[in-house]
Amino acid sequence: MRRSCITYLSCLFFLTAVIFFCWGCEMEDEFETSPFRNFEACWKLLDENYCFFDYKEVDWNATHDKYFPMITDSMTEHELFQVLASMTLELQDGHVNVVSKYFFSSYEGWFQYYPANFNWSIIQSYYQKGARAGDYDEIRYVRLSSDRIGYIYYGSFNESILESELNKIFDAFEGCKGLIIDVRDNGGGSLTNSDRFASRFLEEKTVCGYIQHKIGKGHQDFSEPFPLYLEPSDGNLWLKPVIVLTNRRCFSAANNFVSKMRILPNVRTLGGSTGGGSGFPFTSELPNGWRIRFSTSPILDVDKQHTEFGIAPDIPVTLSPDDIERNKDTLIETAIQLLLASD
Amino acid sequence: MKRIIGYLWVCFVTHPLLAQYHNEEIQRGMNEGTLIGIGTSQIRDTYLSPFNYAGWGARIFNERMTFFREMRFSRQQIISVDISSTENPAENVNDFGAFVNYSFAYHYRLQAGANFRLLTGASAHLMGGFIYNTRNGNNPLSAKVDVDLNFSFLALYRFRINGRPVVLRYQGDLPLVGVFFAPHYGISYYEIFNAGNMADVIKLNSFHNKFSLKTHVTMDIPVHNATLRLGYLSSLYHSDINDIKTHILSNTFMIGWVKQFMLR
Repeated sequence: MRRSCITYLSCLFFLTAVIFFCWGCEMEDEFETSPFRNFEACWKLLDENYCFFDYKEVDWNATHDKYFPMITDSMTEHELFQVLASMTLELQDGHVNVVSKYFFSSYEGWFQYYPANFNWSIIQSYYQKGARAGDYDEIRYVRLSSDRIGYIYYGSFNESILESELNKIFDAFEGCKGLIIDVRDNGGGSLTNSDRFASRFLEEKTVCGYIQHKIGKGHQDFSEPFPLYLEPSDGNLWLKPVIVLTNRRCFSAANNFVSKMRILPNVRTLGGSTGGGSGFPFTSELPNGWRIRFSTSPILDVDKQHTEFGIAPDIPVTLSPDDIERNKDTLIETAIQLLLASD
Repeated sequence: MKRIIGYLWVCFVTHPLLAQYHNEEIQRGMNEGTLIGIGTSQIRDTYLSPFNYAGWGARIFNERMTFFREMRFSRQQIISVDISSTENPAENVNDFGAFVNYSFAYHYRLQAGANFRLLTGASAHLMGGFIYNTRNGNNPLSAKVDVDLNFSFLALYRFRINGRPVVLRYQGDLPLVGVFFAPHYGISYYEIFNAGNMADVIKLNSFHNKFSLKTHVTMDIPVHNATLRLGYLSSLYHSDINDIKTHILSNTFMIGWVKQFMLR
């Protein structure tokens, strides 16, 4: 009996050892600089994860065939980077980046060919002229037009703000007739921060958009749109008229903020079209260690439409050269007039 | 079949008396070992990266074991906490892993000799933890929560070195069926936790989508009035669900002390 026990135990131990050995072999991965392997890995990662192929009518297989002949065994790291960067630029997506140790690729067509509609030095002069000015890092606020209009500039949703700080800001606007929220040149950041800010402008829980995600590797493998709700904050609410100033460089979370704000009853948007960037981006990597980022989950507006290419404003206004010369911001001035004229 | 049902009844329903393995005369006792260890760790989670990350791991392992019913049954409780730091093949990104495991097992003695025992049984196992990637933006973390029913087997062999009794043990735990947290292929944790889309994130697991095996070998060596325990633990975890593959492999060498509690 003892012998049979030992045999049984030996078999178990041997089986375990084999399983672990096989596993170790399968887990083997090595640092890989081969241009071919990295090209294929980059193409495949996007093929299986990128979410806007069909919406943008990008033929990804054709893109592979276009760039593959440019890959050679002897190409330098920089040359490989340029091919991968060019291939990813075909997606026309500011959320798609290839990042190596020395280089960074980013699509900039979403803002490059549009008017800036923004002059920071002019905005700063409004702070100097206004009353009760204050700031929390990327957030600046002031009372304009003889204390009748509140103005907030939120430059990046990477910057979080506490509920107590938001309370102080809205306390500073007590008695104002309307509020200008300026998110021009806000390149995005955390949706949690943009939602926290937007939650000050509504009275009841509201569907403000939808989100989808990939459920498989196919280009059409998407989940059903899942509603995104915005809930009113427990802090000070602002339910008087609001005008949100936008330009082409409102991107990603800022684009999402505009998408949510524009459905609220007291809110209008003014300025230029936003830059889009409605795909929730994920990060992964290539065998050579380069980082790659890409949009994976489309965030839709309340009508279940994509906002990947931007959101047109309710009131289109462009920064005029004459106003720039007079150190005036056309968008702020127009917004003040509209808010003062509102009931 | 009746034997199996009877065995499960005894294992999970009755409350047997405690006993201790080392000394047949002790009718009620408990053997508790606490070990710490370090070793190697390999992680691949395709939610974070398609590549294998390799590095080191550390573990704290606490085990309580009792024998009862004339040494025919044993009850075992294991709590272990392990952490790991691993690097991608290019060595420019880290994954940090942290897991807590708890298992509660009953074993039945299949065969026994003067110095040898072979036991088999079942255990309930709970695991919770995460893998954190230092470079990823919106997908920096892969959370793991598993609840399993395991097949567990255990062999004990007692022999003498220089006249001192030494106990060598080999144990394996193999999950048969359970449930685990399994997010969809491309879903973000923002959608799951902020937006509240929890639909279908808990899935049934078995061999079709998960294979896991935990084995450990320990040797108890008396040193003066105490017992030193040396151990080696191998843990293998593989899951393939919703096109997300996870492999976690660790080998840990451990050392610690065993305490005996008399309860009679």
